[in-house]
Amino acid sequence: MLNFFNNSNIFIWIEKLINFINSIFFVLLLAALSFALIFSPPDYLQGDSVRIMYVHVPAAWIGLASFTCIALLSILNFIFKIKNFVLITKSIAPIGLTFTCIAIVTGSIWGQPTWGTFWAWDARITSMVILALFYLMIIVSHKLISEEVKANKISSIIAAVGLINIPIIKYSVEWWSTLHQPASIKITGTSTIHSSMLMPLLLMFLVLIVYSALIFLMKYKTEIIRIKKKNLKRYD
Amino acid sequence: MISDFISMNGYGAFVWSSFTFTFFVCAIIYYRTRKTLKKYEKEFAKEIEELSTEQKKIVLEKSKVASKVFSSYNKTI
Repeated sequence: MLNFFNNSNIFIWIEKLINFINSIFFVLLLAALSFALIFSPPDYLQGDSVRIMYVHVPAAWIGLASFTCIALLSILNFIFKIKNFVLITKSIAPIGLTFTCIAIVTGSIWGQPTWGTFWAWDARITSMVILALFYLMIIVSHKLISEEVKANKISSIIAAVGLINIPIIKYSVEWWSTLHQPASIKITGTSTIHSSMLMPLLLMFLVLIVYSALIFLMKYKTEIIRIKKKNLKRYD
Repeated sequence: MISDFISMNGYGAFVWSSFTFTFFVCAIIYYRTRKTLKKYEKEFAKEIEELSTEQKKIVLEKSKVASKVFSSYNKTI
């Protein structure tokens, strides 16, 4: 079983998955864009500006989920010293940063027609900016610290500390008086979003998750090659 | 009808700029990630190529990753 999780087997599976994602991605994207921009109805209050939600919300979800994943894997790596976890966290961090920045920028664009301003230092926005800074610190620690063990240790500590920010982001709209509305989609409990808007939202989320998986797999593949390349020097 | 779709009842600039920004950033990240991957594959294959015949044989037999990268690189050139 453990042999299955060695880098060689993972590498072969990665190639297969990349080919699979490449074959389905554009069909999914086309369907999601059609629903988000054409078939979904405008909101009774916000009008067509509500369509920004279809990129803003999934981007924020991915930004949050990626960081949670990085933090949990970093903690597990701290305890069990599993090398693959480091590769995974290293590969996820740029994806998380990208989507956090997308969520901040599209949220800012959405803010102008909805709140009348591009920017407000409300609790949700501020905590999202802090999340982006945590991502930056993780990426920079890997780039600047040449000693790999030390870089992994520091980035793990940053991720573990940053985990505190995740519930703050989630509950910021309930704990403080903010411009953001409370969550419309609940995993437990009744969602207040209509199915005609929920469907395109979930479809766009699927597209962005598939895209994230593609980037993650390519980055992971690069990391495996980088390690193998380093090992090749033993033969010189 | 097309102008209605583009203007989105006055919200077109906000909606289109959000979608354009998102997919533009995604396209750049995809392009850069792919470029880095190809660069590493190329460098790795070249390093295998530079090994002596005996060393190359050992590496390609021992490592599935090396043999995969090396064979796909040789296909492309």
